[in-house]
Amino acid sequence: MNTQETPNPFHSDVTDSQSTSTDTFNSPSPVEIQELERQVEYIVDDCFFTVGQVVGMRTTVDYDAVIWWRDHYREKFLAAMMAFGNRWMEDRSNVTTVAIMLAERAVRYSEGKPSIDAEAARRAAADVERHCELHARRAARRSGLDPSDASATRIAGYWCTF
Amino acid sequence: MTPAQEVDYILNDCFFAVGQAVGTQKSLDFDVIPWWRARYRAFFLHAMSANGNSWLRDRHRVTAVGRFLGQRALHHAADNPSIDLRTAELASSDVETGCRMNAEREGVPAPHASQA
Repeated sequence: MNTQETPNPFHSDVTDSQSTSTDTFNSPSPVEIQELERQVEYIVDDCFFTVGQVVGMRTTVDYDAVIWWRDHYREKFLAAMMAFGNRWMEDRSNVTTVAIMLAERAVRYSEGKPSIDAEAARRAAADVERHCELHARRAARRSGLDPSDASATRIAGYWCTF
Repeated sequence: MTPAQEVDYILNDCFFAVGQAVGTQKSLDFDVIPWWRARYRAFFLHAMSANGNSWLRDRHRVTAVGRFLGQRALHHAADNPSIDLRTAELASSDVETGCRMNAEREGVPAPHASQA
């Protein structure tokens, strides 16, 4: 789930510092798009693995929730990669830390239910994305950036807010 | 949905299951992901083309095998902080050996993990 440079992000703060680089990946070619479509699958797998780690044996997940999360995040991740290229190895620790939050929210929303259903998955995703957007704006203000520009969006989780 | 599309959802479901068994005490080296994905995507597609897409019927059983894969990876990782490629290979070997034995007991001719 996390890089070897960050042995255990389960004890890190979800609002840890993020990349502030502003370079963008302009107009990928069809071949590059095909490669990004291949790479995004590994990234989605990585995130599912992390969410599973955090949920553990406390509960399980409905297949409808898997479908919803995959459709939702694959699209966002791919859009982010089309804009910025594949920065997964740089951003992996931060994004999987956000996945930890997603898992905890999903477990909370599934309390009293036999498993994490699509509704709990959607509510958890909405919470996480609100958090990422708020954090991006706060981080942008701290850095003296315009919160509406691309570099600000990139801070703190463009992977889930793009 | 075609088997080639459906298999990606199935793999996500399985990665979740593996993660459940691994828990938060160990991390996963990123290079394990393409290796596991390529391996099980091929197995699953083979099973789906041979037997039709029976994921909803088989999901409970196959995700249980996914959790077993996570347990074996955890076992082989021993004191290492993360699950590396060698550990993943050993875990897959354990699981697939178990699956082949089950398949033989049940009289299933094709020895594939997805038919565990």
